[in-house]
Amino acid sequence: MKMMTYKDRVVPILRVADYLLVPIQIDLDDSTVGRLQKQLMEEIERTRARAVILDVRMVEVIDSYISYTLSETAAMARLMGCRTILCGIQPPVALTLAQMGVVLQELVVARDLEHALVLASLS
Amino acid sequence: MVGEKIETLLESPAHEFDVVVRIAREEDIAVARQMAKQLAQETGFSLADVTKIATAVSELARNIYRYAKEGRIMIRKRLEDRDGPCIEVIAADRGPGISDVELVLTRGYTTYERSLGIGLSGVKRLMDSFEIYSEVGKGTVVITEKRRRKF
Ligand SMILES: Nc1ncnc2c1ncn2[C@@H]1O[C@H](COP(=O)(O)OP(=O)(O)O)[C@@H](O)[C@H]1O
Ligand SMILES: [Mg+2]
Repeated sequence: MKMMTYKDRVVPILRVADYLLVPIQIDLDDSTVGRLQKQLMEEIERTRARAVILDVRMVEVIDSYISYTLSETAAMARLMGCRTILCGIQPPVALTLAQMGVVLQELVVARDLEHALVLASLS
Repeated sequence: MVGEKIETLLESPAHEFDVVVRIAREEDIAVARQMAKQLAQETGFSLADVTKIATAVSELARNIYRYAKEGRIMIRKRLEDRDGPCIEVIAADRGPGISDVELVLTRGYTTYERSLGIGLSGVKRLMDSFEIYSEVGKGTVVITEKRRRKF
């Protein structure tokens, strides 16, 4: 597994085979979400990745705005020929999103990182 | 009527609340969310409910920032309540107000171009009680509560 890390960006992006792995370890505040989106688009274009895996295990709050931005990012990635897979949603976050009736459009949701890697290799 | 309510709330002394966050910049949304989380944790809410409260505060703070430019999030715990301990969240602003409150509570209704329109209806679902008062040209107040569940 070949990995490349890019420092001094909003999130580290690891390149694994033909896809990008993005562990989101910071609280997704608003300016961060925007910068994350921009960084991802640049990375997809540069690497021609087939899939992006967003690992949100460390994210404690996902509100409707963050949900919207994640879906929008996935829609943008799709237009660049890249699938976006979300994994690691914490149970309280899942509960909150379900109760609010948030539909994470455009995103493929995986059970865990392992499952996400399987889905990525299929795309 | 609504105007008076907004003024009374916005003028209410800070010591009546555990947390008062003035929302004027985008960063303030994350601050309000964080403070709400901390207070809910201290008050002994379950992690699920802490997350719901923090998410609700995030939605209300964002609405203030987006639609009213400026306002306040005020949070207090009420431990001696008849129905058990609870957390009350008040969002108040002197923004443009809402002409049809029924309508904005409809899921998917939004006047913003990049949004899901499920903020207010979501807050209503996440919390135990929800009241909204608004008047065009005066502002908007949302008062909402979450009770601590017994285990
Ligand atoms: N504090 C406010 N002042 C004025 N209008 C508001 C306020 N909060 C919400 N609104 C109106 O209600 C609509 C629905 O709000 P909401 O359910 O949070 O969804 P969204 O923010 O995604 O549009 C907004 O698009 C806006 O028109
Ligand atoms: Mg909103």
